[in-house]
Order: sequence, then C-alpha cells, then structure tokens
Amino acid sequence: MGDIIGFVVAWIVVAVLGEWGVSVLKQHSLYYYTITTQGLDGENAFGFIITLLVPVFAFIVVMLLYNMIRFGSLKLQAQRSPKQFYNNKVFVSVWIVISILLNLLFFVHPTASAIEQMFNSEEARYNRHDLIVNVTARQWQWLFSYPQYGITQAQDANGNSVLYLPNDRTIKFVLRSYDPFHTYDPNAGVVHSFWVPAFGMKQDIIPGETRYLYIHTNKITSYSVNPMVRVQCAEVCGPGHPFMEAPVSVVSNADFQAWVAQQKKLQS
Amino acid sequence: MSSIVSDLKGDGSTVMSGRKMMPPVVRGLLWALIAFLIFNTLISEVFDRMPYHPFVTRASVTVGWLAAVCAWLLGVGVWEGVVKPAFGRETHWETPTDWRKYFMYSTDHRVIGMQYIFSSFGGFLIAGFAAMLMRLELLNRNLWVFSNPGAYLSTVGIHGTVMMFSVGTVGLVGGFGNYLIPLMIGSNKSAFPRLSGISQWLVPAGIATVVLSPLLGQWTTGWRGYQPLAGQDPAGIVFYYLGVFALTTSSLMVAINLTATILFKRAPGLTWNRIPMFAWGMLTVSLLNLIWLPEIQMTFLLGLLGAIIPLPFFTQVGSPLTYLEVFWLFGHPEVYIVVVPAFALWQEILPVMGQKTLFARQWGVIGLVFVMILSGMVWAHHMFTNMSNGQMLPFSFFTEIISIPTGFAYLVAIGTMWRARLRLTTPTLLVLMSLFNFLIGGVTGVMLADPVVNLQLHDSFFVIAHFHYTIIGAMIFSWFAAFYYWLPKFSGRMYNERVGKTLAVWIFIAFNAAFFQMFLLGLHGMNRWVPVYPGYLQPMNFEVSIFAILLGIGFVLHLIHIAWMWHHGPLLNDRNPWRSKTLEWQAASPPGAVNFEKIPHVVRSFYDYSDERMAVEEPAGER
Repeated sequence: MGDIIGFVVAWIVVAVLGEWGVSVLKQHSLYYYTITTQGLDGENAFGFIITLLVPVFAFIVVMLLYNMIRFGSLKLQAQRSPKQFYNNKVFVSVWIVISILLNLLFFVHPTASAIEQMFNSEEARYNRHDLIVNVTARQWQWLFSYPQYGITQAQDANGNSVLYLPNDRTIKFVLRSYDPFHTYDPNAGVVHSFWVPAFGMKQDIIPGETRYLYIHTNKITSYSVNPMVRVQCAEVCGPGHPFMEAPVSVVSNADFQAWVAQQKKLQS
Repeated sequence: MSSIVSDLKGDGSTVMSGRKMMPPVVRGLLWALIAFLIFNTLISEVFDRMPYHPFVTRASVTVGWLAAVCAWLLGVGVWEGVVKPAFGRETHWETPTDWRKYFMYSTDHRVIGMQYIFSSFGGFLIAGFAAMLMRLELLNRNLWVFSNPGAYLSTVGIHGTVMMFSVGTVGLVGGFGNYLIPLMIGSNKSAFPRLSGISQWLVPAGIATVVLSPLLGQWTTGWRGYQPLAGQDPAGIVFYYLGVFALTTSSLMVAINLTATILFKRAPGLTWNRIPMFAWGMLTVSLLNLIWLPEIQMTFLLGLLGAIIPLPFFTQVGSPLTYLEVFWLFGHPEVYIVVVPAFALWQEILPVMGQKTLFARQWGVIGLVFVMILSGMVWAHHMFTNMSNGQMLPFSFFTEIISIPTGFAYLVAIGTMWRARLRLTTPTLLVLMSLFNFLIGGVTGVMLADPVVNLQLHDSFFVIAHFHYTIIGAMIFSWFAAFYYWLPKFSGRMYNERVGKTLAVWIFIAFNAAFFQMFLLGLHGMNRWVPVYPGYLQPMNFEVSIFAILLGIGFVLHLIHIAWMWHHGPLLNDRNPWRSKTLEWQAASPPGAVNFEKIPHVVRSFYDYSDERMAVEEPAGER
C-alpha cells in the first residue's frame, strides 16, 4: 500500500507541474505564431490533447522512474523477487477502460468536432464574399493572382511573387499545380504543398486537381514581423524545393486597396 | 567443430573435401561483375540500342543488375549449396570453422543470424553516416556541405531507404530472429535453412545498390519514391527501386522462414500458450511482412517499369494520389514492422531482469496481434493534407485507437517491474529508455492523428522528430538492449557494465536533446527536405546538429564496446548469467555444434518466476 501511495503522490505532483507548464506554454502560443482563426482552432485542439495527455504521460514517466529508483538494484546477482503475481484484474480493467474512453473522447473532441468546424467554414453559404486568390505552384515558384481585381501575377518591384492579404477577411485560395509557362507538357506538374506556417494549416496541391483552402486572417503582420508569415512548399518537389517560398503580408483594408492599385499600375 | 558441417551432413546434400577455392565473397563479386558486363552489353549494344548508343541505359542497367545479383548469390555459395544439389550433383564445399564461415553461404541459422546482424550494422553505419552529412549540412542555413540541393536530397533518400529496409525491418528480425528463434523454441534448425541462407546475401546487394544509386543520377524523392516526382528524376531512382526490391525480397524470405519455424518447429510441450514473447513478436512481424511486402514490391515494380520502358502507370492512372495511397498502404504497417519487435523485447527482458513473473501476459500478446491487425487500417493518416475531408474521420479513428493495443506493451512492462527486484543492468536501462522514448513518440502520434492538428504539423520537422522517436528511440534502443542482453549467449563473454551504462546514458541524452528540439523546429515552421532554410531557424538547428553528431559518436562507441567485449570480455563460467527461464539460455553459451543435444521438453511457462523450477524437463547438462 505504501508504494501505491508514494507513487500516486509523485504522479499527482508531476502531473500538476506538467499542467502548469502546459498552461504557461499555451499563453505563449503552442504554435509560436498564428494569424488565422482556423489556425487558432487547430492550436486549441493541440492544446486540448496536450492537456489531457499530461497526466497520462506523467503516469508512465513517474512509473518508470519510481520502478527504477524504488525497486531497482545495482547488484548483478539474480535474486527472485519476493512479490510475484500474474495479473491484477482491477488494474488491467481500469487501464483498458480508461484508454478506450480517452480515445473515444479524442475522436469526438477535438477530432470530429474540429473537422466539423472546418467543413462548416468551407460551406458555400459562408463564403460568398471571400477574397479569391489563385495559387499556381510550378517547379519552383509560387504564382498568385487576384481574379476579382484583375491582378494576373502579384509581384514586388524585383519581380518576386508576393502574397498580400487584407486583415479580418475570409480568403479562398484556389490551388493548382501546373507550369503556366510550359503548358505543352500537362504532366510536368508534381505534388506541392501550400504552407504558411503562421496560418496553422496546409493543403497539398495535386496536379490535375483544383483544391481550395479557406482561412480567415486575424492579425496585421508580415514576413518582416515574423518569418513564419511566408509561403513555403512543404512537399518535396525536386531540387528547387527549399527555394519555393514567398513572403506574405497581412495588411489593413485601406493598405490592401493601395497595394491593389500599385499592382495594377505595375501590370500596365 | 563448426555447426555448419553437421547441419550440411544432416541435409545429406553436400560432400566435404579439401579442394581449394576462391573466397566465396570475392568469387561472388567477380561473377557479379562478369554477369553485369555480359547482360548490360547484350541489352545496350545488341537488343536495345539507343540513339548515340550509351553503354549503360536504364533498361540495360536493370537487366545487368538482375544478372549481377543472381551471379552474386551463386558466387557466395548458392551454386554449391542449392543449385547443384537440386539437380542431384555432387558438390565440393568446404566450410571453415573460423571467422570465414560468416563470409559465405550458410544454412546454419546462427551463422545466418550473425551475417544479418553484420549486414544490418553495415547498413546502420552507412545510413548513419548519411545522417551525419545531413546534420552537418543543416548546421548552417546555407549550402555548404553539399554543392546542390539535389545531392542533399539524394542523401536523404539513401539514409531513409537503407535505414528502413536494411536496419529497421532487418536488425531485430533477420538478425536476432534468425539466430534466436530456433533456440527459443527448442529447435536445432529453422524450417527453411537454404532459403534463409540465400536471403541474407540479398541484404549487402540491396544496400550497395541503394548507396551506389547516385552513379546513375540524383533522385530527390526521399525514401518514399513519390510519383509523379520520381518520374521526373534522373536514373538514380532505378537503383532505388532495384535496391529496395532486393532488400524486401530478403525480408520476405525471412518472414516465410520464421513463420514456418515458429509454427512447425516448436519443441514438444511448447504450446501456443507458452510461445516466448520475442517469438510472438517475430510471428506478428513476419505476418505483417508476408501481407504487405508483396504489395510494395508490385508498386515499386510498376514504378521501375515506368522508369525503364516507360510504362507510365502512375501518371496515367488518373491521379498522382494512387501512388501515395499504395505506398502508405505498405508504409504504415512498415513502421510497426520496425517497432513491434521492440515491444516484444521489453516483455522478454524485463521479467528476467526483475526475476519476476511476466504481468498480464495474455494482454501483451493481444497487444502485439491487434497492433498487427490495426496497422493495416491507418495508412491514409499520412495523407490528411491531400485527401478529401470526408475520408479523414475513419483513418483518424483507427490511428487513435491503435494506441490502445500499443498501450498494452506498457501495461505489461509496468506491471512486471512493479515490486520486482529489478537489476539495473545495461539492457534494463536501455529498455527503460526505449519505453520513455516510445512514449514521446506515441503521445506526439496522438497529436498527429488529429486531422486539424495534422494539417499544421504534417511535412514539418515535428513529424521527423515523431518517427525518429519511434524508430531510433524505441527500436534502435531496444536493438542495443538486445545486443547487451544476448552478448553472453553469442560469445560466452560479458560486457563491461559500467561502460555499457555510461554509453546508454550518453545516447539517451544526445538522442533526446537532438530530437526533442526537432518538435520545436517543426512547430516553428521548419519544413522537410530543405538543405537551405530561413535564418531564424539556424540557432536551434545548430544545437540539433551538435547533439546528433554526439549521438552518432555514441552509437559508434557502443559498437566498439560490443565488438571488443565479444572477443576480450571476461569469460563466463555460467551459460545462463541472467538466470532466465527461456530456452535459448538452456543451451550452451555460445551454443555448441548443435543447439540442443537432446530436444528439450517444455513443461511450464517461461515467464513464471514464482519458484525456482525451470520450464523444461531435466535441463540438459545441469551446471
């Protein structure tokens, strides 16, 4: 009985300390830097899983350490353990029931609930006034165009692709993988992955398919504020893969309109 | 007297004589070279001349390689050991009793096990060297070790492929499985010794093929060979397909042999209820291999045909996702092929070290079997970022619930250690470390199983950290535990406990310091397959590289220690230094000409330490 009490006390202490550590981490943002509501949903799911797993993690780690320190022996001679038992039906039953319940819980929340939320945010009725950004991934470059504003290829003064987004707006990214400069070879496209680390999610781009990614921006920021605000290909696509990146800026609506006007001037 | 001799005599197929011959490995290399030149030339110069007639074409190198591998197998001894006897011819095959027996075809399961152990260690060192090059490159945010990203990506591919197919799936199965399973189930030989002898020699061929792939050109896909990118790659991808084909064929033969051995070669009294835990691990892994390896071989064969004919199956089938699906259909069972032997080892070593009855053994077995079954139902969690939303839920569900049978391994381990008199030897320490590391791998696996979280973490360094925790953290640590645990069995000598423990702590610290920071790198936006990355990630990458290099040094020091103690460690005057009840320790250490002079009769459980009685009736030759 003494061992059980000793272990449980140690377990509770470590679990509480762990929860405290996780709550501090949560205040600092588990994803480091998130600028979309979808990203925050993911971060919350991540935080929920960690919060529930801390006691589980602590149980095993404390158990391993407790066993090692309390029952460990540095003597090499074999000596039969005085205590011998084959099974403990209560312990095994509790273990199995808890592991099943924990998994069912995780499946309901956050897995199914968060997916449901994601499905919903992609419903057409919620996305009537989205800013549409066409994203074309070619080897090895991102091309962004804004059909609603007639911008065919957003770029800075040096001709590098840039992604400008207005703040507090739902953006519908239309993702395609092909090479617009080599259209004679429809098979030239490979799998890319559209990832802005600060968005908190990514979507693979499959040649021959059109895919969509919806995000809602919630912070004015840019690549120079935090380097996580960049487009980065996340799926290996050949030797140019590491260079397939583009800076992102999330700006106020007025600044966005000014940028659109400047792009149009550049284009003409 | 070598045990091979008696085995071969028992087979009645090979006659010994004093005729001198070339060392078999040298002869194999020579035959392989000749075969390659003949068949390569036939294809590229006669049957399939290309414009500007290059001497080596994709088609010619494939046929030349096939011929070379066959010639290599024949040269190392399959000619005398299998082919000639099959046609009723008398053969002259001298088997030396010294170290040279390890460098030729053999039908002795212990020699084959040792050969597999050498081969997989060779693969481990080569692929580990590739990892060191990668970490050296990532020390700095710019290209400075490699001259171009393609060279870096080829190194990534070689590292992953060799580690997976020649270490992860081979080290504990082909190596320890072949050596120990007949001993553990009370048999003097495995079910198919000749098949087993052939299979081992495919491993060095496969490793060499993958490592030499840059000769044909870079390949940038990593170990997965993703289409359609693989279709664009230069011809190096051909050697990837061929090398993996050799390695998976080898694992397939091992699986056939071990399954049949465990099913049909058990000693009398060794009922299903008494099968040792490690044998259960080998059985479940072998079944996984039998189910999934043919599937991936067919996939890679189609990829190969696409590269050499071309037969563009994966680009014309409608969607590039086809390749991804069929790859991961194998790819996820593969990671359980790697880690299930580790689960089994925990349950094998802990009761012995604690001299305490294995706790809830039936749940341990149920865990292994259900992990085996469920591992085939989770593959598409590798594809959350590219599948439609509606497909996510079932895969997420199965991925989450596979943690339940996995947890049973912990249930058994913890229950066994509780109130045991646990001897903190090097194997115990490594098993405890392995339990801790796999716990981190498992917990982060639960996070990755959640689709919304996965959309952020997928293809980032978080995933790299996660699977290295499961593979290095669990499998490699258990592999070293197995080495220390069975070193007295292999050599009759003991390692140095203090050196072993110090080095165990060394690799534990270096491993966790290196790979835990990779979780943070991934969360901070470090994507995979990049030799060049934004500057803000450099400080942490620098630390990771330093600890990774320390980890590499730690592994090499372990190997040096084990190799040294193999020949110079203190001799044991006890065949069973750990006081284990399992059968392999009832044979001599190292085993004599045959494992058991008299086949033992099993009368009770191997894992019951509640009394001093052994599990066998009159253990042969009580010391």
